[in-house]
Formats: sequence, structure tokens, C-alpha cells
Amino acid sequence: MIEIDDVSFSYDRGKTNTLKNISLDILEKQVTSFIGPSGCGKSTLLRCLNRMNDLVDTSCITNGEIRIMGHDIHGKDVDAIELRKQVGMVFQKYNPFPKSIYDNVAYGLRIQGIKKKDQLDQAVEKSLRGAALWDEVKDRLKDSALGLSGGQQQRLCIARTIAVQPRVILMDEPCSALDPIATAKVEELITELRQEFTIVIVTHSMQQASRVSDHTAFFYLGELIEYGPTDRVFQNPEQKRTEDYISGRFG
Amino acid sequence: MRTEGHIFSEFDDALNQLKRDTSLIAQRSIVNIENAMRGLIEQNVEYCDLAIDGDEAVNALEMEIDSQCVSIMSKHRPFAGDLRMVIASMKITHNLERISDHAENIAKRAKKIIKWGGSDEILSLEPLQHAVLEILRDAHMAYVDGNLDLARSVISRGEVFRKLQKSLTKSFIVKIDTDVENYKTYLNLIFVDRWLERVGDHALNIAEDVIFMESSQDIRHGGEFQED
Repeated sequence: MIEIDDVSFSYDRGKTNTLKNISLDILEKQVTSFIGPSGCGKSTLLRCLNRMNDLVDTSCITNGEIRIMGHDIHGKDVDAIELRKQVGMVFQKYNPFPKSIYDNVAYGLRIQGIKKKDQLDQAVEKSLRGAALWDEVKDRLKDSALGLSGGQQQRLCIARTIAVQPRVILMDEPCSALDPIATAKVEELITELRQEFTIVIVTHSMQQASRVSDHTAFFYLGELIEYGPTDRVFQNPEQKRTEDYISGRFG
Repeated sequence: MRTEGHIFSEFDDALNQLKRDTSLIAQRSIVNIENAMRGLIEQNVEYCDLAIDGDEAVNALEMEIDSQCVSIMSKHRPFAGDLRMVIASMKITHNLERISDHAENIAKRAKKIIKWGGSDEILSLEPLQHAVLEILRDAHMAYVDGNLDLARSVISRGEVFRKLQKSLTKSFIVKIDTDVENYKTYLNLIFVDRWLERVGDHALNIAEDVIFMESSQDIRHGGEFQED
């Protein structure tokens, strides 16, 4: 689904590489976790997958390429905005627009040119159901999204993301600002979304990575140290650095 | 197996305490078996009573270790080698508690046999006792040292005590037919050799758990160890 092929990345026009020769294949309709200590490059790599790093002027891929469905996402014919329709993103801090619940979910669809109310209604309901939020908000769709709880706002952001039917959903520490109940709901949602979407999640929670992901990649100082099935990585890692990190010996 | 060096030192303390207590329950269970067999072979009731009384401390320690394991899993959420160590310690402890139960059973039967006047046939249990205690001690050391080779060596010696036990049982059955007057003694010696065999089986279980702890390989029920 996503092929990361010998990718190096720099934030300073190639003077130093934040990511060093990363190669890994992310499988379709599976959840892949990126773990590692702060500064290891996991969020940087995540943001490479929908070219969010393009927003940093001095950043560049210095080696290798990233292919999604076989297409180089940095190819000349690839428009970053179009790419982000296919590769949606959910951020650490939930960030609904200061609009109604309905308008938040309909936002991307309207940009895509969908104007018919029936069509929008259906898509909004489907997305809110997909984000396990419909039953909680169906009677107040016109209320402000900012009146929802933190967990509901994050699920609304997920609904907004899936409304435009991306192939891939990137999640950058999606539960770090949520309480345990809201976290559990988002994790449950992630396992359900896997049936339809390819999900890549950056998390600092080892328990979360082990619970929700099929594959786990461990990064350290910009290098991919280990990548494999989550059960194996957490029960019997091949690399000592992985074991030291996941068991809390790092430092 | 590393049991030190966690950033959160309380986690190290908890794992080290678990290892010490698992080793302690192993030592106590081994002593209980030694006392039970010494009581039987030397026909000395005092050693039998030591084995019977000693089981209580093992039971208490088993519960304490279970509690420690639950605490470690809920507080520290161990992964990888740490998780395997906690799981293995818990399982090993249950095997050791059963071993101590067998020691108590042997000691109780020994007291009956002594009461009935003893028998020279008791001495025929010595080779089985030595074989079983040897692998039990080695299984314990394999756990303490995280010694994969020693654990595998224990597994490889399983047939030795099983053959001895079968042979003993056969000879006691013959004795029941030929020395009818003392049939109760021989019947009880059959119980003893079976309990010793079970102690050996528990020692093999412990060795399997050590292999899991050290290599993540599950070789129970005939599984083959895979070399790297």
C-alpha cells in the first residue's frame, strides 16, 4: 500500500538528515504504529506520507522515495492537496472548525463540490456513524462542535477525515489529550476503521501500540531499528534497543 | 535476562524481589522434598514432620508471589523479556507449590510406612530420588541464572527418571504378590514413586518456562526448540 524506500529527510536543506535511509512497507487495511522516543523521527516520517512537511520551506527528501499505490508522492504530476484527500490526517490536539458538528463533517465534501443536501446528509451520517459518534450527536448536529467533549471532538475530527473517503488515515498521537474512556473509544474506533482504511498511528503509549496495531515500527535517532508484527515486537523483539525502549530501560 | 536498568527503579526493585522470592519458594520446595525423602529413607518421623509443616510456608509464598505478579502487571505493564519473566515466575511458582504438596504427601505416607515397621525396599527409591532432585535443582538454577542451556539439559533428562519410576512400580507390584503381608507398604511405595515422578514432571515444566522466559519459545507438549 505504502512503500517507503530508502528515504532520508532533512529539515535544513540537506545539511543534516532527520530521517536516515528508512525502508518499510505499510500494508493495506492494517494499523501500523510508529513508536520511539521524542525526536526519533516518527512524526516526521508520518508527515512525509501526505507531504505535510512541504509546509516547512527548508525541508526536503534527500534520498529515496515514497510510493502510495505504486505512485511516487513527490512526483511532478502529484498535487499535494489531492494527495491529502487520499491520505487524511488526525492530529494530537483535536482541532474541529468553529462551526456546527454537521458543517465540520460536510466541510471537505463541500470543497469537493458536493452541494446536494440529501447527498451531504447521507455522507455526514455515514461518517459520524463510522466515527462512532452518530448516536451521541444526531439530535444536535447544528450545535457548535466546540461544545463537544474532548473525546467527541477528536472523533468528530476522525469523522471529518473519513467523510472524504481517504485510502489512508494518519494519526499523530490521537489520544494524548484524551482521558482513558475517550481513549478507549478512539482505540475501538481505530480497530473498526481498519476494515476500510489503512491507518498509520504515531503513539508514545506502548500499551496503545500493542493494543491497536498489527505492525509496529520502532525508530531511534532517525533510523528504523525494527519493524514487524506487533505481537512479536512487544513479546520478543529482535533488537536489543527495541527491548530496552519498550521495557523502559532507555536513557 | 536483564533485571536491572529500568528508568523507573521501582520496576527493577519489583522484578528483583519477584526473582528472589521465586528462588526462595524453589529452595523451600526442594528442602521439603529432601526432608520427606530423608524421613522415608532414614525412617525418621521428625524429617517427615518438617516436610509436612514446611508446606504452609510454601503456600503462603505462592500467594505472595501471585500478588507481586499481579501488582507488576498492573503497575508497570511489562513487555518483552520483563513480561515473560513475570509470566514464567508465576507458572514456575505454581509448579513449585505442587512439588511441595507432593513432599507433604510423601511425608504422610512415609509416616504410615514407618508406623507399619518400614521396609528394606524403601532404599530402592534412592536412584529415583537422586535423579528427580538433580533436575529439580538444575531447573531452579536455570531460572536463577537465566541459563537456557541448563534448562534444555533438564528437559533432555526427562526419560531417565520416568524409566526408573516405571521399573520401581513394576518391582513393587511384584512385591505385593510375593510379600502379601506387607502389601500396604508396597502400595504406599508405589504412591511415593509416582509422586516423585510428578515432581520430576514439574521440574521439566519449570525448565520449559525458563526456556520461554529466555527465548520466547514455547516447547511444551513436544515442541522443538528452534536454534537461532
